[in-house]
Amino acid sequence: MIVQACMLGYKRRVPVAAFLLMVTLLAVIGMLRLQVDTGIDSLIPADDPARVIYQKVMGEFGTDNKTIIYIKDENLWTPEKLLHLEQLHLAIEKTQGVSRVDGIFSLHTIHGVDGKIVSRPVLRSAPKTVEEALSAKESALANPLYLGNFFSEDGNVTAMIVSIVDADDRNNFSREIYQALEDHINVHLSEFEYITQVGPPRINAELKQSLYEDFMLLGPLSAVILVLSILIFMRSWLSAIVPLVTSIITIIWTFGFLGWVGIPLNILSAMIPSLIIVIGSTEDTHLMAAFLRGLDENKDQADARKHAVKYMAKHIGLPLVLTVLTTALGFASNLFSNIGLIQHFSIAATFAMLANGFITVLVLPLMLSIFASDKNTSLVKDKETNSVPNRLMRIFRYSQDHFPLSTLMMTAALCLFFVFQASKLYVTNDPLSYFQSDRPLIQDVKRIHEDLAGVKIFFISLESKHAKAFQEPKNIKKLSDIQDFLDSQGVYDRSISLADHLKFINREFRNSGIEDSIPETRKLIAQYLMFFHRSDLDSYVSHDYSRANIVVRHNITDSHSLNKYIRELEDVMKEIAGSHMTSHIVSENLMVNHAAESLMVAQVKALVILLTLIFLIMSAMFTSFKGGLIALVPAIIPITLMFGIMGYLDIPLNPGTAMVAVIAIGIAIDGTIHLLARYNELCRYTSDYIEAVNTAVREEATPLIVSSIALALGFGVLIFSNFTIVAQFGALAAATMLFSIFANLLITPIIMSRIRLVGLYQILAMSVDRDVLDGSPLLQNMTDYQRRKAILISELNEFKKGDLLVEQGSIGRDMYLILSGKAEVVRKDDGESRSLAILMPGQVFGEIGYIRETERTADVVAIDDVSVLRFDYERMQDDLKFFPNIVAKLNFNICYILGQRLADMVASSKNK
Amino acid sequence: MKSLPYKSTVFVLLISCLLAQESFAYVSKETSGDEIMEEVQKRHQQFPYIYEEQSMVMEDRHGKRDTRKAKRYSRVEKDGSVDFLLLFEYPREVKGVALLANRDVDGNTKKYIYLPAFGEQLIESAGEGSNDNFLGTDFSVENLTGEVLSDHYYERRDDGEMEGIKYFILDVYRADDEFEKKQILRKHFVQQDNLYITLTYHYDKRGRISRTQTHHNLKAVDGDMWRANMILMEDKKLQHQSLIKITRRVFSHDYVPAEVFTAQWLYEHYPYEEPVEEPTMDEVDFEMFEDMIEEARE
Repeated sequence: MIVQACMLGYKRRVPVAAFLLMVTLLAVIGMLRLQVDTGIDSLIPADDPARVIYQKVMGEFGTDNKTIIYIKDENLWTPEKLLHLEQLHLAIEKTQGVSRVDGIFSLHTIHGVDGKIVSRPVLRSAPKTVEEALSAKESALANPLYLGNFFSEDGNVTAMIVSIVDADDRNNFSREIYQALEDHINVHLSEFEYITQVGPPRINAELKQSLYEDFMLLGPLSAVILVLSILIFMRSWLSAIVPLVTSIITIIWTFGFLGWVGIPLNILSAMIPSLIIVIGSTEDTHLMAAFLRGLDENKDQADARKHAVKYMAKHIGLPLVLTVLTTALGFASNLFSNIGLIQHFSIAATFAMLANGFITVLVLPLMLSIFASDKNTSLVKDKETNSVPNRLMRIFRYSQDHFPLSTLMMTAALCLFFVFQASKLYVTNDPLSYFQSDRPLIQDVKRIHEDLAGVKIFFISLESKHAKAFQEPKNIKKLSDIQDFLDSQGVYDRSISLADHLKFINREFRNSGIEDSIPETRKLIAQYLMFFHRSDLDSYVSHDYSRANIVVRHNITDSHSLNKYIRELEDVMKEIAGSHMTSHIVSENLMVNHAAESLMVAQVKALVILLTLIFLIMSAMFTSFKGGLIALVPAIIPITLMFGIMGYLDIPLNPGTAMVAVIAIGIAIDGTIHLLARYNELCRYTSDYIEAVNTAVREEATPLIVSSIALALGFGVLIFSNFTIVAQFGALAAATMLFSIFANLLITPIIMSRIRLVGLYQILAMSVDRDVLDGSPLLQNMTDYQRRKAILISELNEFKKGDLLVEQGSIGRDMYLILSGKAEVVRKDDGESRSLAILMPGQVFGEIGYIRETERTADVVAIDDVSVLRFDYERMQDDLKFFPNIVAKLNFNICYILGQRLADMVASSKNK
Repeated sequence: MKSLPYKSTVFVLLISCLLAQESFAYVSKETSGDEIMEEVQKRHQQFPYIYEEQSMVMEDRHGKRDTRKAKRYSRVEKDGSVDFLLLFEYPREVKGVALLANRDVDGNTKKYIYLPAFGEQLIESAGEGSNDNFLGTDFSVENLTGEVLSDHYYERRDDGEMEGIKYFILDVYRADDEFEKKQILRKHFVQQDNLYITLTYHYDKRGRISRTQTHHNLKAVDGDMWRANMILMEDKKLQHQSLIKITRRVFSHDYVPAEVFTAQWLYEHYPYEEPVEEPTMDEVDFEMFEDMIEEARE
């Protein structure tokens, strides 16, 4: 069937081309519906229970979608500069999508001086005199609620905090807001030493911009790398063009599919074109190499091209299906991730891999039928002894021949070392960490953090059952105690709560310069609270004072550390809050960080599932669990090394790097499949399976090394991505591809040659003339699979000349098939022995006992050294109960044998 | 009803605003904004002693409301000095919180705040501007105590008409500051039929409308004099609004004795309470109370 599918494009060019064209056109229409989603929301598990609490807290205390406009100037507190600042403030307030602007011109302060209480805005409007400006500066810097949040210690930096309305980002909302703010900033750019904005709209807009840039760069770069590497290694233009064509069609189909099903592109999607080009090309390369080999083998035949395509289909068809399947499985293992970003990427990549396999099967033969020559024009031959693959293989062969055990031991030691290194791995999922550290956005974040509190926010929410709970001093103290613990953790920049407001106003009223203290009575708190406008407290306490909120700003980018601190905080917070209150720590940023933990668990699960599937597939392929285990070796070694390197180089697990393992295994296993498939095939024609290992390695080394290097180069292209996570993914995947060469061609052959991988069928295929099996009446009219299955349940027994195989009068239910040698059937009657028959290879004896438990009617004696297959009745019944067709065939053949024997006996008695 | 000296007539209580009858006879096209406001004053014929009981309802952007109850005392002396006291009665936690304002004969105003829970001392309040919120409301102290005509300059704009009612429209500027004079503070819409200010736009320093004040439920309280029983202040920017509803109004010397405007009177009637250890609501054993109530019922 696979061969027929592969020949479809060759034989039915017009219908196949029309079909491809039609689907491609549909895909192009689908592409027009494509959407881009770089929102933070896709990083949060959809089923995260914290979402509900987060939304409740946001509804109560206002959005955490806040942009900080950072303004630095040594002469900030002068009328001229403040006038520009006021104009900027005014302009931003008018911007559509801006719900609130907090800054120098909207902040109120309360100041106790000389027994008076002064309650006024820091600045109502731009001052006219320097004195007025300096007075405002003094007032602003004296307010501890604003220091670090709105003003730097020296007063040279101020921040404008712009709250953005919550809106769906699919209509480019973030980008529009970012651009609008940027336009306002640009008007005043020359007026200040430095002015910039940082916040979710900018992050989102830059993610989107970087995504577009990646699309423009990575795909074409991968294509160039692909063409060059194929030209270098295969020296065939057609071999370079074919994967390019299949890749382009696959890219169109994939994005069309995404458009039709409504899955948006995300930052991981940037690497899909590269992945399609790179991974897809390996199959094309294997197919083209087989086609060229086919041309060589059929060069003397008429229509060599058609024969070569058939040869290609026959030899690469099954491995192609398996490799497409395992590669797709690698990507599909993330399908059930609860993180939208990964799930969407996984759907896209899985579809792409499957589509690429399908397209390759149709397009490649079609192109060969039009463009290929009848002669192998490729200049590359395996005989090039100084080629990179050959030189590498010479080293490997030397190690395999001379120090196989040492090589294995060293590999094991290396793996142990890297397992230890991998134990240092940590997870991070901070959107800011997706950008390269030299990007202006990241520099701006650092700059803000140098002068003010970090741009990241989370909320600590405490809830009582009773209204006005947070007018009670004891409960206000709880807020204060939690903040004290936050301070003791020493990792957050700033926290503000209702307690700070009350301590501050208490200090200003007392006007005594005493330590900040919480007002002593409920009434005093209530009376102080009258001095705040409700909107001043919106972020810190609910309307009925039953819920309070501590706003924490920080700049922690490492999810692992942040999650650890948050866990500590949660414990303390619950203890302080007491049993009468519920408490939560929420923010979008934290949910994204929590997702990092589930990311780790999900990847471990995906890895286990994938390894299990590969094990099962390979076990089925070899009808041997050993085969499955050996196939895992070249998968496990590279990922062990990869995780070790991540630990050693302090590369975190993130949505990009976490996927490397499963994707790389899915791809690396392709080489293993080709290697083992070839070995499997060779085993049928040689009795020397070590030679089979060597031959398989020798034959597959070049395509395996070439495709792995090409894959490494292709993945290496991703290093040029704007996103750190994509670049890290590329670098690690490239390294894993190179490690897989070492694992596939150095370690796997050593293990293959030491462990008898082949099953009974292979041994038989090696040592027994196939005609014996073909001619045996027991195996008549059975397919290869049915024969193989039946034989695998039997046992191979060896007997020396003269050995008694079956004893007359004994009771036994075994049936025997002679593989080699001869045996004589001897019946003893009244002390006289009589030879009934000489049994030749392929013939069966013991079938009567097999059918019915009865005494053996004659002896069977080996007259040569004899090999037989012994079929145990009980085992056959048990093992074949799920294969009724095989049982039926076997029973029919046994009936045939018995019938034949009866006919012989009748004929013999007639003759007598 | 007494006629007040000039000094006292300049103290206009916004919430009582102004009224007049047959105002057209006194206002022509050439009449200036200042003259219209003076005419409004004359028509107003302010009572010197006013006692009001008010409910204040404050609604935030989520539609959630806070209610306070307060007593308002105002007294204009013969020499022109004015005393004003706003005294909160409800909720019980803020009972006794007071704003005490005094404008002397020279036009100098002093404001004090009394917080019974803080201690028996008046704290001078400074720095409140015309646009600053007072004690969490959308009103400023100036909105509550009154607009002084002599401190302002009124520029008449083209008359307008809304919903069939004709208005004189006056822009209000600060009189003593040349620079500020150009900065509009408020825009009054004076009903032409009764010279009552029913709509005022309050502007921020950037010349934008920051709050809108409207007067409702107008009642003729004595002859030509009208009063609004409801005043609504809306802050569009903060999506917040405050409504003052006058539930009782008495024009009587007896209700506004001079000692009301003294610290001593406040200390005596709303004394400071020493802090005591109080359980939080969470710590109160409500079940025990319920049991006690149940027992009492039985």
